[in-house]
Amino acid sequence: MRISGQRLQLLFRDLAATAALLSMVVSGEVPGWALGTFGLTVTLALLNVRPFARFANPSSVLLVFGAVALYSNVAAGRVDLVVAACTFAGLLTCHRLMSAPSPSTDSQVYLTSLLMVAGGAALSGELLFAACVTAFGALATLSLGLQTVEQSREPGEVVPLRPLLGLLAAGALASTALGILLFVAFPRLSWNVAAHRSGAGLGRATTGMSDGIRLSGAGRIKTNPRVVFRAALSPDPKTKTLEAYWVGQTLESFNGIEWSSGGSSRLRALDELTLGPGGGKLVFQQIETLPAYGSRTVVGLDRPLGFSRGFSHLQGSDARVRFVEQRGEQVRFEMEGTSYSYRVLSRPAGTGAQPLSPASRARALQLPPTLDARVAALATSVRGTEKDPLSTAKKLEAHLQRNYSYTLELAGPVADPLANFLFERKSGHCEHFATALAILLRTQGIPARVVTGFYGGRRAGMAYLVRAGDAHAWTEAYIDGRGYVRLDSTPEDSRSAEPNAVLDFLLQEYESLQLRWQSSVLDYSMKDQAALVERLPLPGSGTSPNAGPALPKATTVMAVFGLLFLVGLLWRLRGWRQAPTEEEATRFLAELERLLKSRGHPSVVEEGVEALSRRLEHERHPAQAPLRAATRRYLEARFGGRPLLRGEARALSEQVRQAT
Amino acid sequence: MGLGALNTGNNLLYLLLGFALATIVVSGVLSEGALKGLSVRRLGTECAFAQEPFAFRWGVFRQRGRSWALTLSEEDCPLTGSGRIAYLPSGAEVAVRANMTAPRRGPLRLKAVRVSTTFPLGLFAKSRLFDLPETLWIYPRRVPPKPNQGDPDGGPLGQRPNPRHADGDGEVVSLRPLREGEDARRIHWLKSATLGKMLRVEREREERASYLIRLPPGLPAEALEPRCEALAALAQQLLRDGHEVGFESGATRLRPASGAHQEKRVLQALARAGYEEAEG
Repeated sequence: MRISGQRLQLLFRDLAATAALLSMVVSGEVPGWALGTFGLTVTLALLNVRPFARFANPSSVLLVFGAVALYSNVAAGRVDLVVAACTFAGLLTCHRLMSAPSPSTDSQVYLTSLLMVAGGAALSGELLFAACVTAFGALATLSLGLQTVEQSREPGEVVPLRPLLGLLAAGALASTALGILLFVAFPRLSWNVAAHRSGAGLGRATTGMSDGIRLSGAGRIKTNPRVVFRAALSPDPKTKTLEAYWVGQTLESFNGIEWSSGGSSRLRALDELTLGPGGGKLVFQQIETLPAYGSRTVVGLDRPLGFSRGFSHLQGSDARVRFVEQRGEQVRFEMEGTSYSYRVLSRPAGTGAQPLSPASRARALQLPPTLDARVAALATSVRGTEKDPLSTAKKLEAHLQRNYSYTLELAGPVADPLANFLFERKSGHCEHFATALAILLRTQGIPARVVTGFYGGRRAGMAYLVRAGDAHAWTEAYIDGRGYVRLDSTPEDSRSAEPNAVLDFLLQEYESLQLRWQSSVLDYSMKDQAALVERLPLPGSGTSPNAGPALPKATTVMAVFGLLFLVGLLWRLRGWRQAPTEEEATRFLAELERLLKSRGHPSVVEEGVEALSRRLEHERHPAQAPLRAATRRYLEARFGGRPLLRGEARALSEQVRQAT
Repeated sequence: MGLGALNTGNNLLYLLLGFALATIVVSGVLSEGALKGLSVRRLGTECAFAQEPFAFRWGVFRQRGRSWALTLSEEDCPLTGSGRIAYLPSGAEVAVRANMTAPRRGPLRLKAVRVSTTFPLGLFAKSRLFDLPETLWIYPRRVPPKPNQGDPDGGPLGQRPNPRHADGDGEVVSLRPLREGEDARRIHWLKSATLGKMLRVEREREERASYLIRLPPGLPAEALEPRCEALAALAQQLLRDGHEVGFESGATRLRPASGAHQEKRVLQALARAGYEEAEG
């Protein structure tokens, strides 16, 4: 099916508007009913169904309803004003998309789309926004270009679409490249006060970090590849993966089915919170949680000592947030936010031992009232004659790792999940392993508790990414003189996330890009511009003693070579593009000769097409006119730089065939 | 967008601003590319009557590269209208047609052809002028002819029609023996050779009159225009009826003749009436 230029232009326009809508939608701030309207409109538009074409004015009433609904929401404080404005721009676009296409309608669609893109810039800093903006720019360029040519087309005039689209695509590419250059060079006169690092996101938050854990849970989160937080470490271990434990909360009370923290009452709220004395080699972390995290619990590398510089990001406003310490060594953010950023200082686990208070010891030794008698018997049998508490703990840890398997498939709710795990199924997920070890230790009089948080981290750029699937639970045993010692009875291979390999790879790449996007675009500032200018090899910069460091020589040489390579490549591509023209002409000549030979003109091989054409013309042969036209076009295509159009060679050959 | 970026420092707004500015620059470059290497010649028109749309054409050519969405118009001249072409391939001249309208009779000085394009985005127009000085003569406005067309001229250039009168230039009426002193060019040689005596052809004289249209010189402008229009209508009417029409105005004189060519000559003479100085 051959698509007309007008239909194609309309398709590009609708797709450009869709990209603009998406640039706003990726922020996750747009109300659900508006999302539904957008989806329906875009689907109908792409199917070329425009129900408002005949009811342009009456349908405008719907816009009034939309405006009233948005205003009510803003007045009630349910929707942010910027979100409402962007949503209304979206509704306007939808109305125009549903109306009869015309140059004025098209202009309105482009204008409202541009408004939506600008709104998206105010709502979100997602990488997907960049993709949407690029798509919008390219599609709008194609659409506008086609529209301009279509408006100049006289009825019946044929316009070849392929070279036109090629030229427009090249223009869009050049615009993007130049736009990036202008972005870098445009002088920054103020600090970035309105950019949002990330929106609310499109999916639901997945980790939750609830106040307790329930053993009947299925543990499906292990396969969830969504990134929940990023962390930059100092000193940087520079490893590809991180085998580290990120502490969220400690749980001490177990009732046989569910763990809960010793208490959730608030102790104190501070801008900078210190949990204990330092010791050993401290590790500094700059952590940024993402909307997928979905919890106010603050995480840090085991063992977190202090938290500072917390910021909450909610509906486009960034605000300082205080840290609230709660019982159970849990720290939470005071204010609700879509995402948070903060700093953590941690000391290595097992250092900085503190004595255990009698109350804490009692809680850490408490056993559930309905505990199966076989549990204590199992612990005793595994312990054997071992007297040292740490060695006992290690023996129990090794026993569980060795004799129990990891699985996410559980039978469902059972009356005694611990006994079910230890004596019947002998398989479970990390919460079962952590619970089992903690209770086994308690039966032997060793204080123990369960810790929830995350295990691992994959490197992306300068930071480590932690996913929802990295959520983990482990055990801590209190050893006199050493404090709480970390024990992890979950088999080593099953501690980290287990996402689908392809999905994992794609998300990893996406996150790397997202980090680059954040550092190169969202956080780009006057400071970066100044650094860039200093690095430029400006005339005289090498002689001035006050000048900044000149660009390294090797880099300059590489840049020059890179530029030359690019120019050469473009030149070569130009040559490649031209080559088929001549090849096509030669093929056409061969086809013509074959045809003439088969039609009773074998002499064409010796005398050539041109001479034959002249001879037939002299003889007033009926084939002389089409052959002359074909010969002329061959010469033009081969030597005159005027390539054969699509299907032209076939048409000319057919004319010669009919005449001979 | 620029103000928003400057005011808030939002880098994404700066990015959009960069893209918008870059699009303008690239649009200018592509527009320039569409106008590069063009050559234009004026093909003009067959005839142009005042206050009436007429077909006007230009020939556009480009040796290398393609051009898109071109609009052609006459620069700095009262001709209204423009021609469009969506695609100009390389190496082939394309005729661009426009419906133009001239406001009045007489000479119209054409100075230059403006070729403009809004390609690629339709937001900004870029144009180029091609100096092509030329004069286009506009014929008098077409008006309905008046019913009384006056008497035809007598004399040697015009004769009263007589369908029975032979020895004209029309169809063959008969053959008769050649009389003495008659023009030997009338001899029908084939029949004469067959019958062995000199026979001459007698042809029917066609029924047509000869008119001479006179435009008094030195008429004031307000009287000249309607007079020219009326005479043009009259001349066209007579010529359409098959008569011979001549024209006379001051030093300008056209011998009566018939046919389309004569119509053109009369209309041209009427277009020039009152503008003899401009013509000189």
